[in-house]
Amino acid sequence: MKHEIINKQGATIIELKGEVDLENSPAARELLLKSIKDASRVLVDLSSVTYIDSSGVASLVEALQAAKKHNTVFALAAASEPTRRVLELARLDKVFTIYETVDAGLTD
Amino acid sequence: MSGIPPGGDRRDPRRIDRRKHPALSGHLELLSRMSGHLAVTLNIEETIQKALDLIVQFVKAEAGSLFLLENNDTRLNCKASVGPVDINGLILQADEGIVGQCVTGNRSRMVRDVSEDPDFDQSIDESTGFHTRSILCAPMNVQDTRVGAIELINKQGSDGLFSEPDLLMLQTLAAAAALAIHNARMAEELVEQERVSREIELAIEMQRSLLPRARAASFPVSGINLPAYEVSGDFYDYFELEDGRIYFSLGDVSGKGMDAALLMSKTASLFRCLGKTMHEPGALLATINKELCETAINGMFVTMVCGIFDPVSGEVRLANTGHEPPLVRAPEGTFRALPASAPPLGILPLAAGGEGILDETFRLGGGTLYIFTDGVTEGEIGNGRRMEVEGLMNIINEHSDRLVADQISAVVKRLQQTGKQRHDDITLLVVDDLASKPAGKTPPLLTRLTFRAEADELHRVREAVRQACERCGCTPELTQDLVIAIGEASQNIVRHAYKDVETGEATLEILHEKGILEFRLLDSAPPVDREKVKPVWPEVIKPGGLGVCMIHDIMDKVEFLEAPSGTGNLLRMVKYLENDADET
Repeated sequence: MKHEIINKQGATIIELKGEVDLENSPAARELLLKSIKDASRVLVDLSSVTYIDSSGVASLVEALQAAKKHNTVFALAAASEPTRRVLELARLDKVFTIYETVDAGLTD
Repeated sequence: MSGIPPGGDRRDPRRIDRRKHPALSGHLELLSRMSGHLAVTLNIEETIQKALDLIVQFVKAEAGSLFLLENNDTRLNCKASVGPVDINGLILQADEGIVGQCVTGNRSRMVRDVSEDPDFDQSIDESTGFHTRSILCAPMNVQDTRVGAIELINKQGSDGLFSEPDLLMLQTLAAAAALAIHNARMAEELVEQERVSREIELAIEMQRSLLPRARAASFPVSGINLPAYEVSGDFYDYFELEDGRIYFSLGDVSGKGMDAALLMSKTASLFRCLGKTMHEPGALLATINKELCETAINGMFVTMVCGIFDPVSGEVRLANTGHEPPLVRAPEGTFRALPASAPPLGILPLAAGGEGILDETFRLGGGTLYIFTDGVTEGEIGNGRRMEVEGLMNIINEHSDRLVADQISAVVKRLQQTGKQRHDDITLLVVDDLASKPAGKTPPLLTRLTFRAEADELHRVREAVRQACERCGCTPELTQDLVIAIGEASQNIVRHAYKDVETGEATLEILHEKGILEFRLLDSAPPVDREKVKPVWPEVIKPGGLGVCMIHDIMDKVEFLEAPSGTGNLLRMVKYLENDADET
């Protein structure tokens, strides 16, 4: 897994890339939790995620819960097909705010 | 003078002769005009009236009428008339009067003085006030089919006598008119046939819509209905109740025509409607019986089997009214027949306060229930032999390791192999206790991969699954799902199985045969608590629980088997593949 962080229009955009599985979900978790502490608005760009497993999904859930505590706005954007399918199987596609594109997440 | 045969006297001075009769061009013109009219119209009434107008005008008769045979050729109906008296609609007996003699005897008549002809019927003149002096009459027929006759009355001008050329002309025109009428009738018949066949198409469509839609291969109930002719007197149906149980039924209406098809539709609708609220098969059949008896059609009845299957426990509650005994096949291969406990439906109302229709409750225990109509057991399989119950059991045994859909196909194939027109509908319904089925024969191995139970090995496991799925021709969507499921199952081994002990190895085996893709994950860790690997959607999201739920969502079957060495855990996951034509 690789990642990129961009600050744009007052939001922190975290772009996750590659496979977010058991091997690297701890890194993803750490990255997300840290951003939530530091930013008022966090957008996770999932467009380049080729695979995510339940541990990766759990990191996203944990980040969402932490964001609520910190009053940070937390949302997902541009979910790739594999990500979308796993969120759907995990019945979490309605739990997260998921924007069609990163830009849509920024302007909302 | 009467009854001059066609052709007449060769010495007749008025016989058509091209040199002596330049008026021949007039005959040809009339023939041409009439043929034109007759060729373009398919409307009988219009055709007849036009033809008669032209003939009367040409032959210079005072009146004319055209009679058609009807009512199985027992009477003549005047369909067109020209002249001072309108006799349209006049009905005569088929042999009445000169026209009747002409039609029944199939010969032309030229009567120059009707007062001297015994066949002449005065009554019409008396009632109409018309005075008939002479008659020219020619029969109309097409090949051997009599159609009617054209009659001309009272030649106008000169000597007031019809001539031989008049008769020849009338005969020629009558033949053309007969052909036109015949064609118009055929056209009407074709239109009617077309209408009826459209009606039948709608009926077929309607009946098809009453059958349940096919489900995934993992659904425990499936069936088939192949009508011998257009519509069927058989039916089957199944649907899920809110509690997850499945209501199913199969019926056979006596008879095979449209009446049987309509009664079939009624019975099938009653089952589907009543089944929503009446969850006792015996009571439901008793209610249908009452309804059918109230509106009985003499001599028609329905044999029916109906039951409820619980896919979790494998329990079946079944009632049989007069139907051929269904068969239950135990996993060991033994069969048991379930005879009817009541007569067919629609014959006798049940006595009030009686026992009603009894149903029987039993467990399939991993076995399979087969319900079928006599179209299956009495179906011909070659050399004049019928399939019989034994033949059906043999086919089932030969294909017992196959999916139910394949078993049904095998039965149908055997019944169709003679290539002859069948005379009875083929209907078969199968309830398969998939959940309690013992692990069957192992399908051929496609891939084996041994990996360290470490997170960095999971990518390799997923790639192996992806490649195997692609080799089996899985769709990209299914491949993605199966990669997710096996990814989660392998992840659970890494996270949980070896958590308290030194990490070991695990093996993934992927097996494939037609219709089945099987995954076996074997580890050598201490036995896992199987309660923990049941799919329970968590209140608090934890990755392990989520993974198990996802596996169960994707796979058709998930179970722990005894590990071969006696230690470790062996997780078996099965996916049934639809449209899986080729074995890998």
